[in-house]
Amino acid sequence: MIRFLGTLLACLVVGIAMLAQSATAQQGPLRIEITEGVIEPLPFAVPDFVSDNASAAKYGAQLSRVIAADLAGTGLFREIPAKAFISPITDFGAPIKYADWKAINAQALIAGAVTVSGSRLTVQFRVYDVFSGAELGNGLQFVGKTDGLRRMAHKVADAVYSRITGEGGYFDSRVAFVSEVGPKNDRRKRLAIMDYDGAGVQYLTDSATIVLAPRFSPSGDRLLYTSYETGFPRIFVMDVGKVKRRMLDSPEGTMSFAPRFAPNGKTVVFSLAQGGNTDLYTMGVNNGKRTRLTSAPSIETAPSFSPDGRQIVFESDRSGAQQLYIMPASGGEARRISFGKGRYGTPVWSPRGDMIAFTKQSKGRFHIGVMRIDGSEERLLTASFLDEGPSWAPNGRVIMFTRETQGASGRASLYSVDITGRNLRPVRTPDGASDPSWSPLQQ
Amino acid sequence: MKRNSEASGLQTGTKISGVAHLVLVGVAIFGGAFQSEPLPFEVHEVSMISAEQFAAMTASRQPPDIAAQPIAMNEPDQDTGTPDLTASSDPTPAQTIPEQTTRPAQDGEPATLPDQPAPEAEATDTAPVLTPPQPAVVILPQNPTVRPQPRPVDRVAPVPVAAPPPDVAPAEVETPAVNPDEGAETPQDPAEATAPEEASERIVTEAEANEEPTSLAPVRSPRPPARPVAPPATTPPATTPPATTPRTAVNDALAEAMTGGAPATSPATPAPTGPPLTGGEKDGLRVAVSKCWNVGSLSSAALQTTVVVGVSMTQDGKPETGSIRLLSSSGGPEAAAKQAFEAARRAIIRCGSKGFDLPAEKYGQWRDIEMTFNPERMRIK
Repeated sequence: MIRFLGTLLACLVVGIAMLAQSATAQQGPLRIEITEGVIEPLPFAVPDFVSDNASAAKYGAQLSRVIAADLAGTGLFREIPAKAFISPITDFGAPIKYADWKAINAQALIAGAVTVSGSRLTVQFRVYDVFSGAELGNGLQFVGKTDGLRRMAHKVADAVYSRITGEGGYFDSRVAFVSEVGPKNDRRKRLAIMDYDGAGVQYLTDSATIVLAPRFSPSGDRLLYTSYETGFPRIFVMDVGKVKRRMLDSPEGTMSFAPRFAPNGKTVVFSLAQGGNTDLYTMGVNNGKRTRLTSAPSIETAPSFSPDGRQIVFESDRSGAQQLYIMPASGGEARRISFGKGRYGTPVWSPRGDMIAFTKQSKGRFHIGVMRIDGSEERLLTASFLDEGPSWAPNGRVIMFTRETQGASGRASLYSVDITGRNLRPVRTPDGASDPSWSPLQQ
Repeated sequence: MKRNSEASGLQTGTKISGVAHLVLVGVAIFGGAFQSEPLPFEVHEVSMISAEQFAAMTASRQPPDIAAQPIAMNEPDQDTGTPDLTASSDPTPAQTIPEQTTRPAQDGEPATLPDQPAPEAEATDTAPVLTPPQPAVVILPQNPTVRPQPRPVDRVAPVPVAAPPPDVAPAEVETPAVNPDEGAETPQDPAEATAPEEASERIVTEAEANEEPTSLAPVRSPRPPARPVAPPATTPPATTPPATTPRTAVNDALAEAMTGGAPATSPATPAPTGPPLTGGEKDGLRVAVSKCWNVGSLSSAALQTTVVVGVSMTQDGKPETGSIRLLSSSGGPEAAAKQAFEAARRAIIRCGSKGFDLPAEKYGQWRDIEMTFNPERMRIK
């Protein structure tokens, strides 16, 4: 009997203890969900790259300046000035004093070293996540020549950009454009090429004839463009490295224009005006074999391939107004994707394949905009007297376009804008500039 | 001898007692203890008058004299004319039938209600289904005042912030400058003024910033609520008995009790103790982390990725940096999850460097935290 009572008492005590515990207990750790954050430039620091001698110190300073300009120019990063540094980096191999960089709110730190041997330049760098106290990725080293310093700096910036954002950079790329000099009624145009930031401009043609709409090949080694050299618009292809060109085959009495490479680099899609009608065609770059894609009485032009080469987006006035359409790359039925008020033109497929940039004219103003490939989520990024001719950066994050000011003395210039609509900024060129074509990343 | 002394003692006491009683009786008798207070009485003054004076006073009240003989009555006047007995009728007045009007019911007067058709009898076998009142959805018209157009700024935050003065340092909170007063008893550390950075609640493109101001007229009006519609009668779903047998349920309960209520999958995790955090305390933590969660430099793929991050906290509210770990991710590839996790980790470390404002007495509740960073709402900014 006593034994039974003892067991009963023990059970009661255990039961009460369990009840008390279950009343106050929470299932697992505390859980919260965060859905609101901030969008602001990420502060970073890039001290001058460490050098072992005075001659190399000059290059170290130049490298850090180009890298900082690249990153800050995206609008995604904000440079912390050197005068705010607490402990400048004097030894590339020394441990990082994270507390000193945290104190100035540097969230990313780029530390590097440069050595010069004759004309040979060696650049090493590391990227640190300051608040995590860890390195982002591994250290990298580039070797080149001293005259290629800017390209090496762009490559470092591309690596930093990629490690922080998770997507490819676009700094080691070039832009082909039409350089313009003179008033509107006597404007001289010539093809030019430059770094993405406007540095290192080189002219590819003279200003004897009008040239239009250069377009890079997928590998970046060739350019398509339209020239009035023969009195009619004709398509030319140019080897950028050798600056040699040749005219693509075109029937007599026709006008061919608006060319663009297919992703395979072997085919060109373009507009051909014949007998008062303009339709789309493809043509082999080497064999000249031409295929007709459209046969409507309306004007079809400004074609652009999807990155996988299966579809083509183009503009057409078949509905009575200029709108955007998508059709199979081999031709066939097209579906309209733009339905907003105004006129749409010059569509360009994003390198990512998910968006289409376009020019829109509405209420007397021109806009650069983006939309999904089904026409949804249209967003106008710019607005001015004349904006046109968008071109995608290699990573599909930035768009470069032409902006022309009003009046007889109006000047055409290049601008870039993030696809979110932020960071609208001019691209500095020595003269007027239009029709940009952004190359892929250089190899 | 002893007896004599005791007898003399008794006699002495008797004497004293007798004397005392006598004194007491005397005081009672002669001290007025048995005298009572006289009863109160009223006194009225009277005056004497003579018989003549009394007669003079009562003379005016004598009754009138009554005659001994009755007085003869006068004959009434007789009418000499014979009345005309021919029958005649008064002219019938023209009566106009008033129009039938409904008289307004007076206050307090019962009004006559028209006949109401008798309702048809309805009898259904199914019980009526009560329709819950639908909430009236009212679309409020737009504020007619001209709202300020958002300006494109570098920072996008949940709460828009006006541009601070140019000479203040950026900080999360606004604080005035402190200039130490030389005469103050308590020395003050000088501090410069701080203010939060200018922010907009969304990205404003050039096209949007240049839009013309909208009209003051409301573009929408409230839509009248729809007539409530009774939902179709539905048969209640058949309740299926739980698959577990009582025997199993008992076993499960016992197993749960033995593990202290914790999930069986994580027996190693100690159950938090102490009172749970209030909603306000959780919101405070959420807002604190949000201020440092910068998604501006994330790729599009990372902005599609939700990550769940685990972190252990010290008792002073600071995160243990080494404990921050990626628990799970969804919506994006592994590389994007890595970028999203690093942004989340930076947010926890940056804003937790001074310690989150968490109640110390509930440390057991927030010692381990799982934070889900969901950028879905940030994509449409």
